Amino acid sequence: MALVQIRSPGNEDALAAPSGLAFSPDLREIRALRGLDETVRMARELIQDNTFPTARAWVKGGGHAAAFFPVYTPQELAHALGLLPVTLHGGGEELEITHADAALGSFLCSISKSTLELAITGRLDPFGAFVFPYICDVSRNLEGIFSRLRPNAVTHMLHLPQNFTSSAAVPFLVAEYRRLLEKLERVAKEKYDPSALTDSLQVYQQNRDLLRQLTELRRKEPWKLPSTELYFLERLGDLVPAEVQTPLLRHALDEARERSRPKRDAVRVLVVGPFCEQPTPDLLALIEEAGCYVVGDEFNMLRRWTPKVELSGDPLENLARAYIESKVDIGVRATPMPKGESIVARVGESEAQGVLFLTAKFCEPALEDVVLYRRGLEEKKVPYLHLEFEEKSTSYEQSRLQVETFVESVLFD
Amino acid sequence: MVDRYYAELDQAEKEKRPVAYMLVGGNLTEIVRSFGYEVVFPEIVALNCAIKHKSLDYILQAEAQGYGLDVCGYVKNDLGLQALGGNTPFGHIPKPDLLVCSFSGCYVYIKWWEALAETLNAPLFNFDVPYQRTEKPLKEDIEYMVAQLWDFIHLLEKRTGRSFDMAELKRVLERSRRAEELWVKYLEAGKHRPSPIEAYFEAVFYMFPINVLRGTDQAVRFYETVNAEVETRVKEGTYPVPEEKVRLVVEGVPPYTNYRTFWDFFRKWGAVSVAATYPKVGGLFDMGFYHDPSRPLESIAEYSLGAYVNQNWPLRRQLIRQYIKDYQADAVVIHGIKSCRSFTAGQGDLRDWLIHETGTPTLYLESDHEDPRYFAPAQIKNRMDAFFESLDQRRSSAAATPGRSTP
Repeated sequence: MALVQIRSPGNEDALAAPSGLAFSPDLREIRALRGLDETVRMARELIQDNTFPTARAWVKGGGHAAAFFPVYTPQELAHALGLLPVTLHGGGEELEITHADAALGSFLCSISKSTLELAITGRLDPFGAFVFPYICDVSRNLEGIFSRLRPNAVTHMLHLPQNFTSSAAVPFLVAEYRRLLEKLERVAKEKYDPSALTDSLQVYQQNRDLLRQLTELRRKEPWKLPSTELYFLERLGDLVPAEVQTPLLRHALDEARERSRPKRDAVRVLVVGPFCEQPTPDLLALIEEAGCYVVGDEFNMLRRWTPKVELSGDPLENLARAYIESKVDIGVRATPMPKGESIVARVGESEAQGVLFLTAKFCEPALEDVVLYRRGLEEKKVPYLHLEFEEKSTSYEQSRLQVETFVESVLFD
Repeated sequence: MVDRYYAELDQAEKEKRPVAYMLVGGNLTEIVRSFGYEVVFPEIVALNCAIKHKSLDYILQAEAQGYGLDVCGYVKNDLGLQALGGNTPFGHIPKPDLLVCSFSGCYVYIKWWEALAETLNAPLFNFDVPYQRTEKPLKEDIEYMVAQLWDFIHLLEKRTGRSFDMAELKRVLERSRRAEELWVKYLEAGKHRPSPIEAYFEAVFYMFPINVLRGTDQAVRFYETVNAEVETRVKEGTYPVPEEKVRLVVEGVPPYTNYRTFWDFFRKWGAVSVAATYPKVGGLFDMGFYHDPSRPLESIAEYSLGAYVNQNWPLRRQLIRQYIKDYQADAVVIHGIKSCRSFTAGQGDLRDWLIHETGTPTLYLESDHEDPRYFAPAQIKNRMDAFFESLDQRRSSAAATPGRSTP
């Protein structure tokens, strides 16, 4: 595999984007992956490389790339225009925040600061468009900061409706998607074509189907597919085209199904809260090491938000309808049912024995939901544990102790 | 007037009159009142609690329920107060029969109202107000909001058994419009030199009728009285600070827990706010977002879009630049608060823009509007003293150098 690590420790020019992994423009090095372990390893390397090597390679080959802040924007819109859609999941634990603090103030989540730091330090230069959905006030406001910081790029704040009963919600969202498309057209230098979007819906549907099967395998037989592996397989889709990820998912699914691994005496947990900012890989690994099987989670909700999008008819309307009719329960949209009932139902569906709330520091949507979820769980006597994290967490001893104690309390109760 | 309002709420509960909870930004007071509801604004209740130094009690109660340190102080004040029975030093807050979430400018509104709906078992209507990203409202946004307003009206008809009376709504909107024009007249008095008004600390007190009593004769009469007082001040030369030395635009939510202390830090330097963004959280009337009885629902939709924090940063920057110019301000003070990411996320960038792209001296301070644990008076005073002293020095050296402009 022709991977070249060209980052140089001596090249620390503050505002010059450091270079990281390098790929061919068609990402053949990633397409050539076959084994599950190999794919997971590559995904992990890619996620931890905050120079966006796949986007750089794509752009070097003459393509254009668009960056999307979590949690949900239908990336099919970018895909249909030939853009490489990339999800911005922050800067990770390696990125030093030296500039963004001043722009954002003290009391904000890590992901907002690290995302801005990535832009200030040139790491987001490959992207011609930045899309921020209205998942919270911070994401919303970041768009306005980016519009000043990157005046030559396209920026857009996507207003996702919060009224799911109005008959006018779908037409409004179609209009929103059209506004976004008009901006993305400028970057792609292509005109929107409904048939291309229908094709993209199909590509993403296949991708989502495989992810669903992988998630289901993990729920039923978590010893065959640890959550850390599923996590990296899913996150790979943040950085490579769906056509590249889909065959890798298919191989991974086949291989994982055939695995013969012993079942551990572990506690089945549902992980709730990290739908936007992501914990470090070490913290994720710790959860399983400490005796949990993660059988449900909120790490990568983008492809789970709309499990199925209708393929016949107007593709924009189909996308909008899928969003409005989605039943997903997540902190960044109005609740489809009382939170307490919802969490208890999710515990039942995943056959979890407990809930692990893993919330990012300063993430208000997650923090506020936790209280209502806890009430519902307490009523049904479902055990839970709440941990807070930041992107740059370094010591996990306290968290390990808490998870281990939680596991013991469930196992020996 | 405030006492009467809370007494009326108390009475409404005793008489079992319906009560709706609403948020200030983009609120639907006129429609709700036309169906006979009394309206509670938990944000205003919370700030009243903070001014009365009661907010920490309620915040601690909410934290005991599990609401973390990083949750908005308004939310914690309200949920803590509810858990403690709704008794405040200024009256009893009745439970809601209906929760109306005008999602205009703050995502926490959604979470807060969900928590109330689940805790108090009250029905919830979400009025989804798109974020304002263009100077003029877009047709699709208005259509979406007007459709929701009709849904809301039908819901109110069903809940109250009353028919919607468009003529009555128009009459209420006429009074709203009158109050809004008088409020803008008051705010624009800040353009005088010296300013006869304090457009931040004083205007915050005068926001109550435009947000809570809009659509009533009481609100109209209040602003007539205020404007008469302002005219008298101009005639008699009585101003908020005896000698106006610094004209400020202020951005951000005030620290209600230490309101007078914070205000004193300005007065000491002869600094007066001539324009401010916070009094516009209920609506940007001064930018033309007025209610209009001839276009009732459309103008309600436009008004809801026009809440200050529902404007994107380019529009906020443009507005502040306009205020600096129109009100001949010397400097900007930004007060960021821990609780409110909607207002605060990006204020550091705003400071950078003001200093480097407009050449306006700008001070950025941080504390909280509800939680007194985050107000550090010595630190804030030190920073303010240093800022005003440097402005003073720049003014002195400019005066000593002919041709050089003062800040």
